[in-house]
Amino acid sequence: MTSDRKIKANRANAKVSTGPKTDRGRARSAKNAFRHGLSLPIESDQALCEEVQSLARQIAGPHAGVHIQLLARRVAEAQVDLRRIRYARQQFLSGALAKNPYHYEPRAVTRLKMRILKHILKPELADIPIPAFVMNFVTAAPEGPTRFATVLSKETKQLLALERYERRALSRRKLAVRALDEARQRYYDDCIN
Amino acid sequence: MMENSTSKAISRWSLFGPPPILEGEDAAAYDELVGRICAAVKPVDIIDEMFMADVAASEWEVLRWRRLKLSLIRARALKALEGFLRDELDYDLYREHFVDELTTILQDNLAEGQAEDFAQTLAHECARNDPNAVDKVNQVLAGIGLQMNHILQRGKTRKANELVQQYVRRESDAVEFIDELLTTAGVSIETLTAEALAKDLAYIERIDRLATIAEGRRNASLHEIDRRRPILSEKLRRSVQEIEDSEVIETTPAKGEALLDERPQD
Repeated sequence: MTSDRKIKANRANAKVSTGPKTDRGRARSAKNAFRHGLSLPIESDQALCEEVQSLARQIAGPHAGVHIQLLARRVAEAQVDLRRIRYARQQFLSGALAKNPYHYEPRAVTRLKMRILKHILKPELADIPIPAFVMNFVTAAPEGPTRFATVLSKETKQLLALERYERRALSRRKLAVRALDEARQRYYDDCIN
Repeated sequence: MMENSTSKAISRWSLFGPPPILEGEDAAAYDELVGRICAAVKPVDIIDEMFMADVAASEWEVLRWRRLKLSLIRARALKALEGFLRDELDYDLYREHFVDELTTILQDNLAEGQAEDFAQTLAHECARNDPNAVDKVNQVLAGIGLQMNHILQRGKTRKANELVQQYVRRESDAVEFIDELLTTAGVSIETLTAEALAKDLAYIERIDRLATIAEGRRNASLHEIDRRRPILSEKLRRSVQEIEDSEVIETTPAKGEALLDERPQD
């Protein structure tokens, strides 16, 4: 059980540290939980809303009725969502590939390199040149396909999360397109009859 | 007419997002893929174009993962081959490389004033196993914390690497030599690749998974295009009918103009 003394100390400490105080700090900490923003609805972004409107108009065509316009908007919303998910994934992959090559090195290898460096950088060994094969190992980093494969392997979780967002958006768009197609079909049938 | 609709579709591509090209990928190849898909599918409306953009993006991704898997296997195979050659190469084959390596080291570390070709002569004598030369070289190497084995290893590595590069370029001498060496050792390039890949199976599995996901997405888009075809063909039929009607109208100008005005605007 926590002692009274500890509780008092915790409360006193909490009073001293109450989070960011400046506007800049508060703005920054407000984004602490922000990862990619894909869970935010499209309506929360004015630019995306305009994109949806413009795309919906193109999908519905010039003289569409209210019902078709509504269905076209659903297609457009899913499409714009899909677009932002794909863009996020592309940015994520490009960013990961542009990172320092050592960033994705297996931890065991990094630890071994650190141990070697600690040994060869001792002052008493300063006059002895470092053998090339040791230097090659210490400075080697995954390159080419190995690097890409390492990035994928380390970022699988994030990529699969983006994949889930994309699957949901695709499913929404598929259903919206089907509803729109059916409505148009009914309209054509009515015209024929 | 179809060419127009295809180029219109390509120009509207930006509506569906930027091309999914990563650094180092061939943008022209992606454009070609888009062009070919457009020409094959012949989109008739914007929704068709959306599905086509999906097909193009997913197909590009499938190709990306396949390429990556192939280059990973290839890189591992060549590394394994290099390792095999390092173990199997006879001294006579990498002697020249050993001499080169040793000459460079001696030139950098012999006392000043000694003739430059002295380093080369000493390296050659050492390579011929001349006891005096070997002693002298060992003394120099000990002074810089190196051993003869390190230099031999470097020479061997360089030769192995050179042979692998020639093998990649399918130079007949190198191919013949390596095949002979593999046969003598009772192994094949496939065995070496399989052994080397054993450690990388997790990578391959992940790449395969991503490729399967992209393939699934591409197939779903193709399925949707297929599903819409009856509707699209109905629309196409109507369009054709409209064109035919307007042609009839044009042949009878006076009446046609009146008819055009009377037609509903949608």
